Amino acid sequence: MNSATSSTETRRKQGPPVRILLGKVGLDGHDRGAKYVAHILRDAGYEVIYTGIRRTPEQIVATAIQEDVAIIGLSFLSGAHTTLFKRVIQLLRDSDAADIIVVGGGTIPVADIAALQKMGVRAVFTPGASAKTIVETMKDLLKHRMDDE
Amino acid sequence: MSEDIEQLVHVATMRSARSIRAAARLMTLIENSPDRIPQLLGVSATWPSPRIVLGITGPPGSGKSLLVDRLIAGLRRRRPESRIGVIAVDPSSPYSGGALLGDRVRMMRHADDPMVFIRSAATRGRLGGLMLGALGFVRIMGLIGSDIVLIETVGVGQGEVEITKIADLVMVVFAPDQGDSIQVLKAGLMEVGDIFIVNKAEKPEAGRRYAQLRALISFRDTAQGARLAEVYLVSALEERGIGDLIEKIEHRYRRDRAFWAARRKTAIEDEIRRAILEEIHCRCVEALSFEDVERVLCGEVKIADVVKELLLKIATADLQ
Repeated sequence: MNSATSSTETRRKQGPPVRILLGKVGLDGHDRGAKYVAHILRDAGYEVIYTGIRRTPEQIVATAIQEDVAIIGLSFLSGAHTTLFKRVIQLLRDSDAADIIVVGGGTIPVADIAALQKMGVRAVFTPGASAKTIVETMKDLLKHRMDDE
Repeated sequence: MSEDIEQLVHVATMRSARSIRAAARLMTLIENSPDRIPQLLGVSATWPSPRIVLGITGPPGSGKSLLVDRLIAGLRRRRPESRIGVIAVDPSSPYSGGALLGDRVRMMRHADDPMVFIRSAATRGRLGGLMLGALGFVRIMGLIGSDIVLIETVGVGQGEVEITKIADLVMVVFAPDQGDSIQVLKAGLMEVGDIFIVNKAEKPEAGRRYAQLRALISFRDTAQGARLAEVYLVSALEERGIGDLIEKIEHRYRRDRAFWAARRKTAIEDEIRRAILEEIHCRCVEALSFEDVERVLCGEVKIADVVKELLLKIATADLQ
C-alpha cells in the first residue's frame, strides 16, 4: 500500500475531521499568529474555519453554530480578551451552545488566565506556545468532551 | 453521540431559534456518516425545496467569494423576506486530511444576519469539486426555508464538474489577470457553465478579456438545444454589474424552472447511487489486506477471485 492510501485508512479509523473556528474579535488587526495556528491545525488534520479579523462576538457565535464547530479559538493582541471572551461565552449559553469548547491565544497576561478559565475558557496559549502544545491540548480537550458524553 | 435524523428534522422545521443549530447538526451528521445520506435523502422528498440552486465555480483567485458576498447583499435587498443558503467548498489536504476553509472570510458581514446560513465544507478526499453530502446540504437548506442556495467551489475543469449535477445554474468566474483562462476553458469548463463571468472589471485588462471570452464562447449545445452563451463583466470589489446579474438569474429561473425540476429528480437518484457505491468502496478498502495483493503478485490467485473473497467477507461481516 502506498503512503497516501494507508494514511487515508488511518484517518478513517481516527474518525472524521474535527471542525474548529479561528478568529479575532474586536479591533486588533494583526492576524499573522492566527493564520500560523490555522496552518498548524490544518496540518494536524483539523478543518479550520478561518473567520478573519475585526469580528463581533455575535458574528463569531452565529458562525460557530452554522458551522457546527467543536472548538472556537480566539486570538487577542488588544487587551480586550476578558470582556470579549465573557461576551462570547454568554452568547453561546444563550443559544444553547455552551458545549462548544472555547480556547484562546495571543498576548494574554499569565495573571489573567485563572479568571478566564473560571469564566469557561478551557485553554489559553501564551506567546511561544509550540505547535506541539497547541495540537496536544486540542486533542486532550476533545477527548475529555467525548468522555463526558 | 448518535443523533436521530427525525428529531433534528423536527427542530429544524420549527423555524425557531434552535432550528439553525439543528440544521447545522444534520449537515455534520451526513458529512461524518455518509452511510446515512440515503436515509436523509429519502425523508427529504416532502421537504420544501430552494427555488434556485446557483453554482459558482472557476479557477482560484477569480474573486468568487467576494462575488458571493455581493450576491448575498443584492439578494437580501431585493427580497428581504427570503432566506439565503451558502455552501462554500474547499479541498482537503490529501496528506493530513485537514482543510483551511477560508471562503467565509469574505462574507462575514452576513454572519449574524438570521436570514443567511453560510456553511463551509471540505471535500474530504472526494474528486469532482464537491463533498459527498452536497445534495443533502442543499436539501437541508431547503428544509429551513432557503429561497436561493449558492454553492461555491474551485473548478479548473478536468473533472471538477460535479457542481453541474447539484446546481440548476452554474456560473463560471474568471479574473482578467489569469492568463490561463482560455486553457481552463478548453479543459472542460466550457461545458460546465451556463453563465460566464469576467470579474475584477476595475482592472485595465478586463475589457479585453471580456471580449476574448465572448468571441470564444458563442453558441453552446445544451440539452435544450443550442443556446447563446451569456458572458458578463462585473466588478465584485466595486459592486458593479451585480444587480444585472441577479436579474439574469431570475430571468433564467422563470424560463427554465420546469426543466430544472425534472433534472433535480434525477440528481437525487444519482446521489443515492453514489452514496451506496462510496460506502461499498470504503468497506472494500478496509477489507483489502497486503497479503491479498501479494497473493495476486506471486500468481497464487487471480484478481477476480480476490474480488469475490472480499465481497463475501464484507457481506458476512458484522454490520455496525
